[in-house]
Amino acid sequence: MVRQIEKSVQYGKKSPTLSNHMNDHDATENGPLPQTDLELVREARHGDMDAFHGLVDRYASYLYGLAVSLIGNATDAEDAVQETLTGAFRGLRSFRQEASVKTWLTRILVRQAAAHHRRRGFRIVARPIDGAADPAGAAETAGADAQMDVRAAIDALPPDYREVIVLREMQGMSYEQIAQALAIPRGTVESRLFRARGQLQELLQAYLA
Amino acid sequence: MNTCEQASRLSAYHDGEMSPDCRVEFERHLGQCPQCAAELDRLRRLTAMLGAARPAAIPAASLARLHRAVDLLPTTGIRRLAEALAGVAAAILLVCMIGLARRSDAPAATASMPVWETQAVAQQQAVSATATSDVLLASWMVQDLSGRSEHD
Repeated sequence: MVRQIEKSVQYGKKSPTLSNHMNDHDATENGPLPQTDLELVREARHGDMDAFHGLVDRYASYLYGLAVSLIGNATDAEDAVQETLTGAFRGLRSFRQEASVKTWLTRILVRQAAAHHRRRGFRIVARPIDGAADPAGAAETAGADAQMDVRAAIDALPPDYREVIVLREMQGMSYEQIAQALAIPRGTVESRLFRARGQLQELLQAYLA
Repeated sequence: MNTCEQASRLSAYHDGEMSPDCRVEFERHLGQCPQCAAELDRLRRLTAMLGAARPAAIPAASLARLHRAVDLLPTTGIRRLAEALAGVAAAILLVCMIGLARRSDAPAATASMPVWETQAVAQQQAVSATATSDVLLASWMVQDLSGRSEHD
């Protein structure tokens, strides 16, 4: 375990954590330029496992956060991330660079999450959440309660709506990026977002009234 | 409930996904439509609530497990190939064994013959057996007669 963590730190040096400018070649005074995602993919394609570990370090946190948002629990989220990385490794040769590596990984993860929902079955809880109606709650617990209610409201959305809400509101992706990640037209992204927000407003009406 | 027919454009405006021209036009609409203005306000509060729910950070132990799983990926491919080849070999072996077993049970094939065919074969065998015994009897008689003539 210790060896693995050390290894992870080592890979982390090679590949900085994800940022909004992850593909930029920012010159650093302390060392060589960080490799771009595409360079890491190219090297991993030729069997360089260190390069693939670099991609893991760069995207594991993003994928995990997304998986928790889409699936709802940490254990299944970790499994989904592992399946995503396995799928990405197997699909390295078929990655055609039409989308960014982040979008490619997002697409695989969203499919894993959808498969998870199909296996587990999906149930809609279409009942407004009345957490904010409790006037006795202290300020700190009210904040925590609100977070839990938001989480419950997102979980209550149909998977199609949950995907667009999570990618837009929690990951800050543009409509174009969401369309690429979900392989749907941009107009569908817009209409799903509109309906998803409508459902969330109903579920969280106690907070938004 | 917002009944304005422009309501479906609120999301794009709110997300900054409108072209500058459409944006100016929609802002003019917002100034004249209290329903859309009120919903835009709700949308902004909803986004603030959702944005406060920060994505979960990956625990160090989970990251270590992921790296360990990645280390096994190249051998996983080889192992899957070996399993597939073993499956094919087992299937071929099974087919060969069934073929051999059928060949050794060849007489049993007559069991699937129609009744009339079985009886015809049996009669033919009986006839040939009778013919063989007639030939033997004739040869014994010849030997016996020739023996007697010698004694005489």
